[in-house]
Amino acid sequence: MKPFIMRIEQNELIEQLLKVTEDSLKATTDLKNVSPEVLNFKPDHNDWSVLECMEHLNLYGDFYLPEIERCILNSPSLHEGILFKSSLIGDYFVNSIKATNQKKMKAPKMMTPETSQLSAITLDKFIKQLEKLKSLLYQAKKVNLTKNYTAISLTRIIKLRLGDTLRFIVYHNERHIRQAENVKAKACR
Amino acid sequence: MENDNITEGSIFIKSISNVFNAIPATEVFKKGEYLIREGEIEKFLYYIDKGAVKVSYLTELDEHIIRLGYDGSFLNSLSSFIKEEPSELYIEALKETTVKRISKEAFLEIVMRDGHSLRQYSAFLETLLMQQLDREIDLLLTSPVERLNRVLKRSPHLFQHIPLKYIASYLRMKPETLSRIRNY
Repeated sequence: MKPFIMRIEQNELIEQLLKVTEDSLKATTDLKNVSPEVLNFKPDHNDWSVLECMEHLNLYGDFYLPEIERCILNSPSLHEGILFKSSLIGDYFVNSIKATNQKKMKAPKMMTPETSQLSAITLDKFIKQLEKLKSLLYQAKKVNLTKNYTAISLTRIIKLRLGDTLRFIVYHNERHIRQAENVKAKACR
Repeated sequence: MENDNITEGSIFIKSISNVFNAIPATEVFKKGEYLIREGEIEKFLYYIDKGAVKVSYLTELDEHIIRLGYDGSFLNSLSSFIKEEPSELYIEALKETTVKRISKEAFLEIVMRDGHSLRQYSAFLETLLMQQLDREIDLLLTSPVERLNRVLKRSPHLFQHIPLKYIASYLRMKPETLSRIRNY
């Protein structure tokens, strides 16, 4: 049996990703009103605090935002209305980090936040990253999301389709913002 | 940063200093605390009695230091202070820092007192403008050594007040590069 591969009209995909990113932005902006004690609270020694979740996302953004921008700027622009086809491996990556997948994962070492570096700036920086991501999503409407590729942070051997990279980063943000909100709820209890 | 010429501008700085000296109250910011954060409106002009601060601009990837302040510096988030709009800059204490501050109203009162002080104020603004242009040129120079030398000429005591990694960010170079070229 042929495996199911996600296909979706490009504009529709981008609109979905914009909506999730808009929700992420709202949730993160709400965190600005939370006290430093709550932002630094760790439910357990091995669990991340809210700020550690945010810094983890910043580390991904530091890698992926310039890489996505480079990819978009180097791609010829096209008329809208074409289909995006996910790749097997891209779809696998995205599904593994979606918030609906409850399985706990261990972050790669280079993406593990250093607790000593965290401050209110961590949150402000992530808000700027989400705004940048929104702008990149709009720009991405004009390029082929299937035929242009980005590097990934995990290994140099694999490249992902731009559309899969965008899905990955958007749903990865969503996953850890939910985690941060759960931590906050525990801290406020 | 300093300018030793006796000019109208430095007279202005002196009269502002006198005003600050007359203020008995000081405020202490602990290391890592902010004098102002992005989005807040700057209501004060600060004088640093003792300590060190960085003025920085945050992008989605990096924090860029655009000014450093230490004992004897006047500073604030200037655009926000002038326009009374949300600050684009952060000012953070790099160690325990004691400051004195005056409000915008108090500041304007000194400036507007008479023709003399207005003239001194405009000379002070000229100095400030020239410093900004110097800084703009600093950033255009590709040679790290030249960038460092120009800054040291303006602020010879920078390294005694500010940890190296912040000076490196101010000069837009890696800390390793700065520590290497410092010994030239």
